[in-house]
Amino acid sequence: MNLLLLYLLLLKSTITTFSGLSSLPIVRNDLVVRRKVLTDRELSAAIAAGRTAPGPNGSYIVSVGYFVAGIPGAIAGCLAVMTPAFLIIPMLRYLGRRAETPAVRNAIEVVTLAAAGLVITTTVPLARDALMGALSIAIAIASFLILALTKYATLWVIAGAALVGLAGALVA
Amino acid sequence: MPGLSLRRLFWIYLRVGNTTFGGGDPTMAALHSELVARCGWLAREKYGMIYALARATPGTNMLAFCAGTAWVLLGWRAAIVAVLAVTVPSAVMVLLLTQGYESLKSNVLAMAAIHGILAAAVGMMAAGAYQLVRPHLHARRWLRAAAVVGGSVALSLGFQFTPIQVLALAAVLGVVWRMPEKK
Repeated sequence: MNLLLLYLLLLKSTITTFSGLSSLPIVRNDLVVRRKVLTDRELSAAIAAGRTAPGPNGSYIVSVGYFVAGIPGAIAGCLAVMTPAFLIIPMLRYLGRRAETPAVRNAIEVVTLAAAGLVITTTVPLARDALMGALSIAIAIASFLILALTKYATLWVIAGAALVGLAGALVA
Repeated sequence: MPGLSLRRLFWIYLRVGNTTFGGGDPTMAALHSELVARCGWLAREKYGMIYALARATPGTNMLAFCAGTAWVLLGWRAAIVAVLAVTVPSAVMVLLLTQGYESLKSNVLAMAAIHGILAAAVGMMAAGAYQLVRPHLHARRWLRAAAVVGGSVALSLGFQFTPIQVLALAAVLGVVWRMPEKK
């Protein structure tokens, strides 16, 4: 895939959403469903890699870029993560406190909630691919509960899931 | 400002941005400790304004916050340095983890562990959705939160709207459907 096109598609996902995984539905729609240059399994692996490392939650985009086009794709992904951050500078210069109006806050709140709904719809096909038995379903539920209800770092969840997966294979 | 330099800023963003797990809020809180409380380079009111604007900036809020604080302190060069310092090391780590996944594909035991990780990734995505919704689940607003999330799922699954179309509709809805401010 053309690197500029990859950068623009990934940028489209980061510049139209407001946090971490909310870009996921757009990435999946463009790269898995429409262009078929990424698989659901690779997308799941990218999310796991992105959440394991410290730093921005949206850095799974780097892994997505790598799966699509190798190291140059990862660089395109990294640039797509960084680019929107600089929009804050014209906002600081020209809008300042005017951007903190209730109307803007309200619009962002509704967009964020809609993005959450889209992340749920994106989780369904990825779950169909990744959950192949009782053990994997139990791992997914336990991961959700730990991350949603406790403050344990994702790294421990990943390590625990890997150990349970390994133990399951050794026992079977 | 005493002690303020591009090099010191670089080290602060590098250290805080790459050693804080848990996403944007813990990182922005750690930067508050460094830039406001410890070094005294940034006034609390300015921090608050940049924090609010970072939330309104598309993309990763934490990166926008880093770009904004560094720009206020030392201009464009500092903004670029801050974003690079926070993004590049974690991007390299993500890349190494991805390559690790690729190279272990042919090992049966490693794949069993990876299948466990992929199952956990499903839980992570569901938790990610929940974390987006959770701040809006307070009194008087939870019904609207449920309606927007449900509407988004319905438009996407039931009517085949693309994600961009759903988000654009949500932005319009957000402008016209106003709720009382949080107390």
